[in-house]
Amino acid sequence: MHIPDGFLDAKTAIATGLFSITGLGAALRRAGRHVQPRKIPLIGLAAAFIFVAQMLNFPVASGTSGHLLGATLAAVLLGPSAAIIVMSSVLIVQALIFADRGILALGANIFNMAIVAPLCGFGIYKILRTFFRGEQGRLAAVGFASWCATVIASVFCAGELAWSGTALWGTAFPAMAGVHMLTGLGEATITMLVIAAISKTRPELLEDNDQAVSINGRSTAFVYVALIVIGLLLLVAPHTSPLPDGLEKVASSLGFEHKAIEEPILPSPIKDYQVPGIQSAGTATIVAGVIGAIAVFALSFLFARVLARRHKSAVHPSSPANRQ
Amino acid sequence: MNPAIEIRGLQFRYPDGKEALRGISFTIADGECVGLVGPNGSGKSTLLLHLNGLLPESLPKDPNVLVYGRALCRENAAEIRRDVGLLFQDPDDQLFCPTVYEDVAFGPEQFGLEKEKVRTVVTKALETTSLLGHEHRSPHHLSSGEKRRVCLAGVLACEPRVLALDEPTSNLDPRGKRNLIQTLKSIPATKIIATHDLEMVVELCPRTIVLDQGLIVADGSTHQLLGDEKLMLAHGLEKPHILRHKHPH
Amino acid sequence: MRHDFLDRYSRLNSPIHRLPTTVKLLSTLCIISATVTVHFTQVWFFILVAGGLLILSALTTIPWRFVFGRLMVLEPFALGIAVMALFQENGVFVFLSILTKSTLCLFTVILLSNTTPFAEILLSLKRFGVPKLLITILALMYRYLFVLIDEAERLNRARSSRTFSSSPFRKWNTMASLIGQLFVRSTERAERIYAAMSARGWR
Repeated sequence: MHIPDGFLDAKTAIATGLFSITGLGAALRRAGRHVQPRKIPLIGLAAAFIFVAQMLNFPVASGTSGHLLGATLAAVLLGPSAAIIVMSSVLIVQALIFADRGILALGANIFNMAIVAPLCGFGIYKILRTFFRGEQGRLAAVGFASWCATVIASVFCAGELAWSGTALWGTAFPAMAGVHMLTGLGEATITMLVIAAISKTRPELLEDNDQAVSINGRSTAFVYVALIVIGLLLLVAPHTSPLPDGLEKVASSLGFEHKAIEEPILPSPIKDYQVPGIQSAGTATIVAGVIGAIAVFALSFLFARVLARRHKSAVHPSSPANRQ
Repeated sequence: MNPAIEIRGLQFRYPDGKEALRGISFTIADGECVGLVGPNGSGKSTLLLHLNGLLPESLPKDPNVLVYGRALCRENAAEIRRDVGLLFQDPDDQLFCPTVYEDVAFGPEQFGLEKEKVRTVVTKALETTSLLGHEHRSPHHLSSGEKRRVCLAGVLACEPRVLALDEPTSNLDPRGKRNLIQTLKSIPATKIIATHDLEMVVELCPRTIVLDQGLIVADGSTHQLLGDEKLMLAHGLEKPHILRHKHPH
Repeated sequence: MRHDFLDRYSRLNSPIHRLPTTVKLLSTLCIISATVTVHFTQVWFFILVAGGLLILSALTTIPWRFVFGRLMVLEPFALGIAVMALFQENGVFVFLSILTKSTLCLFTVILLSNTTPFAEILLSLKRFGVPKLLITILALMYRYLFVLIDEAERLNRARSSRTFSSSPFRKWNTMASLIGQLFVRSTERAERIYAAMSARGWR
């Protein structure tokens, strides 16, 4: 999902740059005013933590490996504003020290991965949490939220590439969304496992996530929502009107799983995300996305149940059935 | 003149219920150098954190820590932090700036010194710790001994009157240890050193306080206390080798 | 110091290393902006930029193998996205255009990041008016990156010394709990750092 320099034209780079400055600025203002001074070092350390967590490789079949993005993880652990600062810091350091990702594209990358992803992840997590309580509910919410955040961020990424004229929406959208529906599975699994591990050793760290940097500030929340809406209107909406002819046949017949942008983290049962019988690649992607979302939702619950059971057995190690 | 440190019946309990200090009283005169020894978990580090008001989290109405005659309370915590320099156990916790110079200058800058003055103070602190010429290095390129010396320089740059050192020689090789001891000897401030390194205590501190389970079990001349094999073994310590051949008469 | 691969050459002493950081930052930004905006039909411009960068690179005395090694490591990401450009009218032209542009930009940033210590980049960002809070957080982050990498390595080693099975799920689980443990340790360290900062008069 990382856009290098040279892929965005000036207008897209400037627009996304402004979005990022606004979002990061709002988060910094919120943190500067409402975070206790003792939490400031924690934000710095959390940024280093996400950076290192991204460096760890998770093996996938046939010698490939994937890694964590960590946007939803950061949002669930620290709250949305701190997560925005943390993810932005990670991207800034990666761009300036490792020449990883671009400098001019930094605005777009921050917008996708440090603003849209943590905010969507956090929003979905919070909404699900009001319905599903307990350890299983938490883990399931985390899993589904991480998957959605990854996919949504990749759609914004596709929108930026299309707006720049680098790739056609009809190509970029199915390719980006499709690949990230797969990598999102890895992201969801890792995030769930990490949260389960933290909840086993230091559950109190998860309880007070809101007090780190909360979204309660109304003006800050307004800025966040406004940014995502404007982003949607500018980057995604113009393309969702009837697709130009001719794209779909290129896009649907070639099957993008062979030209993956990043190696998929997990092999998926729905390898072919294009539902047969539907002509347009864009529509097919949306349908696949909805079906995928429902499946991921169900999977998250099942997996959360397994993890929550293990959690219980870890808390009561005396019960003989749980001894290994 | 007021004593450098005066502690009256200090108690502290961690939020998790663990009782770390159970009524501790002692005074340290200006210019004295005191060793603070005791087994792991005896409350040494907790005690040091109280000396400049890092613990308890909300300072009590009825203060039981006095620094040069001033009771440590919310109003003068900042002032007292300047007087008591604390060297932490893990140099990585204390070295939080991207370069050596910035780190050593952190304290003086926080105290509002002007730029030129900061430069003089930092240079002096680096000179004392023989680190001149290392100003622009990053902490992650330093050896353990160098890291420890930068931490010490950062504390010295605040020009404290009391130095509270937590395990200053841990993780140092013999040469690093020797250098550090020489440096500490050359610093005239009042010193209180919490450590397991009893040889260093014998070398630096005429007086020793033995702490166990949050209580002072002995307070007196280093040679007498550390030479007392029974006392040492009873509190998880060992009579240091330097004292092996001497008899405590 | 196993992780000095991160900024190994940023402390050499070449004419480029000695340039003021602000100058380097601004010229990087200019080169990249120009490269991105100039139309690909102006081939001479890109040849000029490439030539200029090669000369600069020679002046930095950084080994060629390192520079090209970095390029080779980072190029596949660009290539992956560039492939999508092929599926349109004029696709090959757009493909070549963005590939050239992104390679040149990458080259520029590699030169910047390996001739300038991050601490100095932070100082000049501060001068440009980047909020102090962000600078503080970036500085802390950069400082503790190395400490956390070490910590992760130690945790990993301790675990592998006691791990005897290698089922993929077990492996994922192990890695994830390593990440969890790393976070717990980070929060504990953050507390200690806060104490150390306060001890020297912070806030």
